[in-house]
Amino acid sequence: MFVIRCPHCCEVREEEEFSYSGEAFVARPSAPEIESDENWGDYLFMKRNVKGWHWEMWGHSSGCRKFFVVKRNTANHSIGGAWSLTEARKEYDAEEANA
Amino acid sequence: MFNSSQSNQTSQFKPVMQSPLHPFGLAAKQEKVNGTKGVWANEVPLLGYISLRGNVQNAAFINAVNSALGISLPTQPCSMLDSSFGSILWLSTDEWLLICPREQRATLQKLLETALQGIHSQVFDNSGGFTSVILQGKNASDVLHHCTVYDLSALQAGKVVGTTFGKVSLFLQQDKNGYRLVFRRSFADYIWRYLERSALPYGFGIAQLNDER
Repeated sequence: MFVIRCPHCCEVREEEEFSYSGEAFVARPSAPEIESDENWGDYLFMKRNVKGWHWEMWGHSSGCRKFFVVKRNTANHSIGGAWSLTEARKEYDAEEANA
Repeated sequence: MFNSSQSNQTSQFKPVMQSPLHPFGLAAKQEKVNGTKGVWANEVPLLGYISLRGNVQNAAFINAVNSALGISLPTQPCSMLDSSFGSILWLSTDEWLLICPREQRATLQKLLETALQGIHSQVFDNSGGFTSVILQGKNASDVLHHCTVYDLSALQAGKVVGTTFGKVSLFLQQDKNGYRLVFRRSFADYIWRYLERSALPYGFGIAQLNDER
């Protein structure tokens, strides 16, 4: 079980209150109607599936019902932090730039 | 096939207002709280519930609500406020729930709608969608520990938290006598039975309502 800090409720809560919503910051093709089937399929189904630090979205479904971003290590389940979508974007972009 | 007398009968629509827990007949079973039971609960039926949504960054929105209601809108996460009309609960960063006596809801809604004219916001009457249950007695927190994953030691007066209750979710707050549970009407049957079952080891009584809102 995880304990996750909801950045909107500003409280640490049990995993049971949250729902997992997949990898964060997957860019949706800007013009889906002219996108090739291959690219659209990649957008829908091809995820990074990393071993290590993973940026993912969670929803606080039993609490404030807002979505936010959690950085979680898929190898040892440690949680590196939780941010609102806007704040997490900055952290994510900074990390991507350094990688 | 229809004659005029039959069609007259069917056109007489007489709606009945019932609380979601009416099948349990709580009003007839209630008694004065005493030492024989560890847990006392009852439904506070048919209150007014008004949902308010708006942008907390928008000073015009906050000012309009504050001056209309004569309060300071709780913008701190998980906070709530008791006021002259009832209470106002922070549900989310852009959502609040006003709980008031049922007969006041139209006035309150009108008041807010007038004040918020032209401001990006939403006020709607959700009174048909919610109900409240009070939970008291020396074992009230023991029962809640069976039902929710929330750390009840972190709950104190003036705080409202959205959390789980068995398989469903609700808003939980603490008041001077015990706890108050605010939840969707469709969960009422499930939550009441869950409470009854969880309270079996402690004794479960139906508390008398003392003008509780």
